[in-house]
Amino acid sequence: MSDSETVIQAEQIRHAYTPGRYALNGLSFSVRRGEVFGLLGRNGAGKSTLIKVMTTLLRPSEGSLRVLGLNPARDGRRIRSRIGVVQQGESFDFTTVEGNLDIYGVLWGLPADERIRRRNELIARFGLDDLRRRRSFDLSGGQKRRVQVAREFMHDMEILFLDEPTVGLDVIMRRTLLDSIRAEVRRGLTVVFTTHNLEEADYLCDRIAVVDQGRLLALETLENLKRLYGGRKTIDLTVSGTEGEAFYRSLRTRLGEDSTVTVSGRSAVILASDPKGALAVILALAQERGVGLDWLNVRQNTLEDVFLKSVGHEGESIGSA
Amino acid sequence: MALPNLLRLIYRNIRVNTDPGSLIILVGLPAMYLVFFGFGFQSLAGGAGSGSYIDYLTPGIMSFQAVMAGTVGGSMLWADRRYGMLAQLLVGPFTRLQYLLGIMFTSVLFALGGAAVMMGMALVLVQVPAISAVAVLVMFAVITLGAIFFGSLMLLIAALVKSNNAYNSVQILVIFVVNFASTVFYPISSSLPAALRYLFLINPLTYIANAVRGAFTGTLTASDGIQLAVLAAETVVVLFLATRAYLRSDVTLE
Repeated sequence: MSDSETVIQAEQIRHAYTPGRYALNGLSFSVRRGEVFGLLGRNGAGKSTLIKVMTTLLRPSEGSLRVLGLNPARDGRRIRSRIGVVQQGESFDFTTVEGNLDIYGVLWGLPADERIRRRNELIARFGLDDLRRRRSFDLSGGQKRRVQVAREFMHDMEILFLDEPTVGLDVIMRRTLLDSIRAEVRRGLTVVFTTHNLEEADYLCDRIAVVDQGRLLALETLENLKRLYGGRKTIDLTVSGTEGEAFYRSLRTRLGEDSTVTVSGRSAVILASDPKGALAVILALAQERGVGLDWLNVRQNTLEDVFLKSVGHEGESIGSA
Repeated sequence: MALPNLLRLIYRNIRVNTDPGSLIILVGLPAMYLVFFGFGFQSLAGGAGSGSYIDYLTPGIMSFQAVMAGTVGGSMLWADRRYGMLAQLLVGPFTRLQYLLGIMFTSVLFALGGAAVMMGMALVLVQVPAISAVAVLVMFAVITLGAIFFGSLMLLIAALVKSNNAYNSVQILVIFVVNFASTVFYPISSSLPAALRYLFLINPLTYIANAVRGAFTGTLTASDGIQLAVLAAETVVVLFLATRAYLRSDVTLE
């Protein structure tokens, strides 16, 4: 198999938990061998459902899906024997950290010597030495997450699905995990990764799919996503007083289609193709309405701005799949 | 050489469910019944002229292991759904059916192991009658059938119930009613109220206890055979319902 081979191919995937209410609504994309494919979206966007569909836990209601060239409806077990999954929720056996890794090795059919070697290596790599004899259910949230991720590396795989793997991890452990994933990717592993954390996506992902309400709003390489907004800058704004809502309504009207205003309480993030012009409008409007400006800042776009822009327009695609 | 999937699942189930707490429930509780009830009620039973009560109780407690192992089986599914391991196993190289069979075989092994321990205890504690190898095989075959029945029943409950409290309540109720409305501890007496006698007669544990006791004492009758046939038919039905409920159930409890 070549490195540029497609390992996941989804065409118009739809899934409804209840008839007519689609958690996934016509998703089409492909994942290439050896890439880190990020799924970005807010809570309830459909990311976890998509992971469940790709890992054969759920069958899509409609559409066509191939994972590693196989059909999940017919070849689920063959697919699952070649993938690894770290689920969003915790999953543990009632035993020690060491026991959890060991049992997982047995479940995946590792010979005893290899099982012990990998277990010890992963315990060291994920900083679990002090915890190895502790029962998993006595661990803190972050410690559990470390064990869960470490455990998945007990077996070989071609695709690793990670559903928000860094939730609850401290900064150091988060970086350790991301670096571990990078190292595995260099060895040829394909990673499908969901996260809320845009910095992580920025750090790790080759391509990012922005999902909202079960739809794909954007799918681009990181560079392309940023290039899409390259001519724009971001203005962060916080106003004082009680006129904020009316102020932002007027601001939206005056800035027109070329700018995007995402409001949260008294604050707003404004993506502007003409930041100087937008600033002039903001200042004039503030004076006109007697609204105070508590904070005003102009900066380069970040991935977060791209995300806000894409989910700010429901159902409107901003990129090509 | 790697073990087949089913054996790996059974290994995992045994390893995870043989912690001291689980063993106390699985073996310790029936052992205490055997010792405390066996010796405690000896004087009452002896006074009634029915011989050694512990001789009567031992096959009953061996049969009771089918119920205990069944509850462990149900608890395995419940805990795996509740704590995420069912979903984790099902995104691994296993099928749903293998997972179900893994639990069922583990339940049977626990039932047989527990029954062997109870029989061993009885041999040590009192002078039980000599038991032939055939009788032992019959007893273990009946207990296997019983473990599949109660394992299926508890899997059905575990697949349907949504909350921890509900599952625990139902489990305790099942153990209590099935255990004490059966011939495990005492025979069906004509002095029992009719409704209670009816409950004894439809209780599958009564059939198991009667057959195991028949083999234990060498007094198996045609009636025991009929009861076992009924139990086998019930087992098929409950196993079918449990499998269907399990296959349709959510793999996680959110």
